[in-house]
Amino acid sequence: MAVTGLIFAAFVLVHMIGNLKVYQGAEHFNAYAVWLRTLLEPLFPYEGVLWALRIVLIVCLVGHVGGAAMLVARARRARGPFRRRRLPMRSFLARTMPVTGVVLLLFVIFHLLDLTTGTRPAASASFEHGTVDTSHAYENLIASFQRPEVALFYILAMVVLGMHLAHGLWTATHDLGATSHRLRAIAVAVSGILAIAIMLGNISIPVAVLLGVVQ
Amino acid sequence: MRLTLKIWRQRSGDDVGGFESYELDGAGAEFTLLEALDKLNDTIVAGGGEPVAFDSDCREGVCGSCGVTVDGVPHGPVANTPSCRQHLRSFPDGGTVTLEPFRSAAYPVVKDLVVDRSALDRVIEAGGFVSIDAGTAPDADSHQASHETVEAALDFAACIGCGACVAACPNGSANLFTGSKLVHLSLLPTTQEERGKRAGAMIGAMEEEFGPCSVYGECVQVCPAGIPLAAIAGLNKEKLRAVLRGKDN
Ligand code: HEM
Ligand code: SF4
Ligand code: FES
Repeated sequence: MAVTGLIFAAFVLVHMIGNLKVYQGAEHFNAYAVWLRTLLEPLFPYEGVLWALRIVLIVCLVGHVGGAAMLVARARRARGPFRRRRLPMRSFLARTMPVTGVVLLLFVIFHLLDLTTGTRPAASASFEHGTVDTSHAYENLIASFQRPEVALFYILAMVVLGMHLAHGLWTATHDLGATSHRLRAIAVAVSGILAIAIMLGNISIPVAVLLGVVQ
Repeated sequence: MRLTLKIWRQRSGDDVGGFESYELDGAGAEFTLLEALDKLNDTIVAGGGEPVAFDSDCREGVCGSCGVTVDGVPHGPVANTPSCRQHLRSFPDGGTVTLEPFRSAAYPVVKDLVVDRSALDRVIEAGGFVSIDAGTAPDADSHQASHETVEAALDFAACIGCGACVAACPNGSANLFTGSKLVHLSLLPTTQEERGKRAGAMIGAMEEEFGPCSVYGECVQVCPAGIPLAAIAGLNKEKLRAVLRGKDN
């Protein structure tokens, strides 16, 4: 769980930074999308690196979701019929991990249909596929977020991502055996800051589109 | 003061069990929870009834035998305090207090509030000991350890084995308990020879009967010994170390 989760965390961080290129305009953003596909050419074939990353992410997804299912089943069995109830807010993030995880899974499916495969009605009516040397990622993104209900769903999904990440990173700290005071203090700070930064960085995009700042 | 005690009554492990209400009158706010149960039992016995069974020994927070669940919280409302050191002053006069056994699939109920916590002993039996022949007490200088290391080992050795961490955990995990033992033993010079083997054996035994850790942090709220969450990171560190080295020590 810790290793696959940390790979996801690294991915969403890099992905968020990439997303912020939307503020540099269509040309930059689309050029970035093309670059992702031609990365390390001709050493690797067209979309080679992209597919390698996709495969890593798919393997992580299967491991992460499978591990989570096993964990929940083991926990239920070990706890027995008398559950703990009326727990205070301090463990809210921990208790909601399975729920936030499932919401993220649904989000990823919607998100891929929306902006990668361009499958309607998840994708906007004006979705256009890219070619080998062009991309419409920018236009597709704007068109998608100009649908307020979709923008709202992205915003809520990013709040859920922030919650999942904050507790996930803190849990990974324990799984990887960080015992020293200093390291643990750093881990608390990094978990919180990364989760909030990724959440806010991504949320800013649908908000900017809705406000018409990015067109 | 006056309290209504809603107490879990269960004749044996095979019995289904259920709550029964009792009125407790004339108990002082300075009474401990266990003294209140003693007083209630006096009345029950005088009336020809079966007294409420509960565990206790030292009644001063050292033996770890007394844990019950009070209003859904293992040990009781005051954090990091064993049931024998919880006082009636925590409850409003005239209020209702619900008492039930520690809840976990690993703790079968023996009777009323008494549970069988030998699953914890099985974790210790798997490796929570030193198997070298220690003979008579060695010369104090023959085992060198720094003051800080010994203090840290003592902090983690403070666990009294009450099992509240398991009952507090929504996952029924014993990671805090096992972690405290592993960290404690990993720090001392005489226990190094079996460090890797011990981690594998104790964690294996733990995983057979207890749940996984999701870092809810509920355990550290109830632990009467104040074992910190770092014990759980320590458990995973010992596990990783054992797996990566693949050696007994
Ligand atoms: C508001 C936040 C987000 C925005 C604006 C966004 C935007 C995008 C865009 C525009 C693409 C398509 C890029 C291309 O065509 O080259 C994409 C792909 C993708 N995104 Fe996001 N994304 C967001 C959040 C997330 C999150 C939180 C995750 C995962 C938990 C995620 C996972 C993916 C995946 C897996 C792909 C597909 C990569 C591929 O196989 O090509 N995204 N995203
Ligand atoms: S770690 Fe704390 S709560 Fe758990 S058994 Fe030891 S003393 Fe009790
Ligand atoms: S009776 Fe010994 S710790 Fe409570």
